Amino acid sequence: MGALDGLMQGFQVAFSLQGILFVLIGVVTGTLIGMMPGLGPISAIAIMIPVTYGMNPSSALVMMAGVYYGAVFGGSTSSILLNAPGISGTVATSFDGYPMAQRGEAGKALAIAAISSFVGGTVSVVLLMLFAPALAQVAVSFGPPQYFALMFLGLTAISSLSEGSTVKALISATVGFMVATIGIDAQTGTNRFTFNNPNLMEGVDFLVIALGLFALAEVCFLVKNRKDQSLSKQGDIGNLRLSKQDFKEMKGPMTRQSFLGFVLGVLPGAGATIASFIGYITEKRIAKKPEEFGKGSIKGVAAPETANNAATSGAFVPLLSLGIPGSGTTAVMLGAFLVLDIQPGPLLVTDRPEVFWGIIASMYIGNVFLLILNLPLIPYIAKILKISRPMLISLVIIFSLIGVYSISFSTFDLYLLLLFGLLGYLMRLFSFPAAPFILAFILGGMMEQAFRQALTASGGSLMVLIEDPVSIALLSISVLSFIVPIIRNRVRQRADHEGTEQ
Amino acid sequence: MLKTMNQKISIFLILFASGYLYLTYNLKEYPYVPVDSDLVPKLLGYLLIGLAVLLFFDKSSETEEEKEKRKVPGKELLVLLAVGVMILAYIFLLEILGFLLATALFVFFCSWFLGYEKWKSNLLVSLIFPSVLYYLFNYLLQIRLPQGILPF
Repeated sequence: MGALDGLMQGFQVAFSLQGILFVLIGVVTGTLIGMMPGLGPISAIAIMIPVTYGMNPSSALVMMAGVYYGAVFGGSTSSILLNAPGISGTVATSFDGYPMAQRGEAGKALAIAAISSFVGGTVSVVLLMLFAPALAQVAVSFGPPQYFALMFLGLTAISSLSEGSTVKALISATVGFMVATIGIDAQTGTNRFTFNNPNLMEGVDFLVIALGLFALAEVCFLVKNRKDQSLSKQGDIGNLRLSKQDFKEMKGPMTRQSFLGFVLGVLPGAGATIASFIGYITEKRIAKKPEEFGKGSIKGVAAPETANNAATSGAFVPLLSLGIPGSGTTAVMLGAFLVLDIQPGPLLVTDRPEVFWGIIASMYIGNVFLLILNLPLIPYIAKILKISRPMLISLVIIFSLIGVYSISFSTFDLYLLLLFGLLGYLMRLFSFPAAPFILAFILGGMMEQAFRQALTASGGSLMVLIEDPVSIALLSISVLSFIVPIIRNRVRQRADHEGTEQ
Repeated sequence: MLKTMNQKISIFLILFASGYLYLTYNLKEYPYVPVDSDLVPKLLGYLLIGLAVLLFFDKSSETEEEKEKRKVPGKELLVLLAVGVMILAYIFLLEILGFLLATALFVFFCSWFLGYEKWKSNLLVSLIFPSVLYYLFNYLLQIRLPQGILPF
């Protein structure tokens, strides 16, 4: 089936009354949750997963995709209005968005964010539509060794690219992998690390990890900052209208960052955060008036907003066509697929075209929804930021607990959730990144299976992992991804050293 | 000897990894496969020890920002602990009292404890929010939340 037929089928899913309704529900709830301080796309997706039980898979996934990019969009609102980015992907937006808001041009900043998000999102969906099926076709021939190499690359990339210490990121990933080994082993039936507890035999559910490490851990920080009154001080947001001159300024960053953001989103480990920072820095570097950046530049809002939304769709390329998430958020997204019994990967295009193309087609509609909903409704939506923190904390706790309870119906998992919430809080206190943990947890099981299948096929010889050019290439890139931060640190140290000598 | 926080964490991780490795060496053997279920966990255990050793000798000290983040005043710690105890109580009571009652109590008292003063709107939210969720899950999504002592 050609891409065009597929897309037509996808539009049939997306344009059905049900499709439109679920896209709408998805983007609205995503925006609302993403706007909450501290709650990002990972928490948004994890909180919404229980709602999809028993739903038709294509409607459910169309909705979840909407939640994802809706949350990325919602994050920019709190960045601009409060200088309190809900997620790291919108930190760069606050550099220029918040100064604009302080000047009384919050409305304008929000409008720029909405329009550039729309452009970035739409351009990258077109690219997603072109690249995902092509990549899937290549990946059909992949066997366990190649998959092992791909997942290995995903893990090393996210560890070496994450902020702060690479060692800490790797420790986080290793512990995540260890948690994935709990339960009955699929190949031999051995009970591993279950301590004869029947609740652990099926392993730890990924929702326990996602909601614990992210939503509950975030709650701990909210508790600490609950007296922050900046939320209620927010006054009028000003006019939303943009002039022709504004559009002219936005055009350059929007075009460039749509493509750059998409590419960075496809790459494992990079994702929306890095795309938005790189977008911001490149635009600053090539701008005619770089001194305006940081003081409320239009380009400074347009660039990261275009890039992070473009990266969001870009991240769907490896997820849909390889079945391998490249970031913490897409890892949770993969979990949402698996809950619905849909295995994303190269066979998805041929086996479940309605799901594959339905998601892509729905993204066009979702982006339009975001634009038309948010432009006129921004002043009203922003009111949600005034919700009192103590109340918000209680509600988020309940959402997390019920999310877990509704998949397992056992209080054992709730205690486990609390435990992982504590772990997530401690990890944050000691600057261990949580994204490698969840990615390793989700990839861990798949990686171990691929590794052992490859070795079973080869009769135990490790050579099978490096026999094929594709796996050699992928493994070498993984190794390279470690060398880059080491060199970067060396250079930085030398620069510091020279700086002190002078 | 343990000067930096990294070194303390590193020792903890090594102990954790050793416990994990002890368990992997006691896994039941399954002789009919070339790669048994203990291989990957063993690799992970040794990897974690290796990484912990690296962390021990990691010279890069914490930035001021990181140190600032770690400082939690004792009073806040007590508040967090109290919220933790409330969550424990909620989990314990969920299947006994039922979702509606337990949630209403939790939302009301947790919000009040954290400093939400408008008790009328608090009461309203703690009644409406669980009811809406309960209706959504039990009737629209067909996921039965614990009914508890209430007749519906």
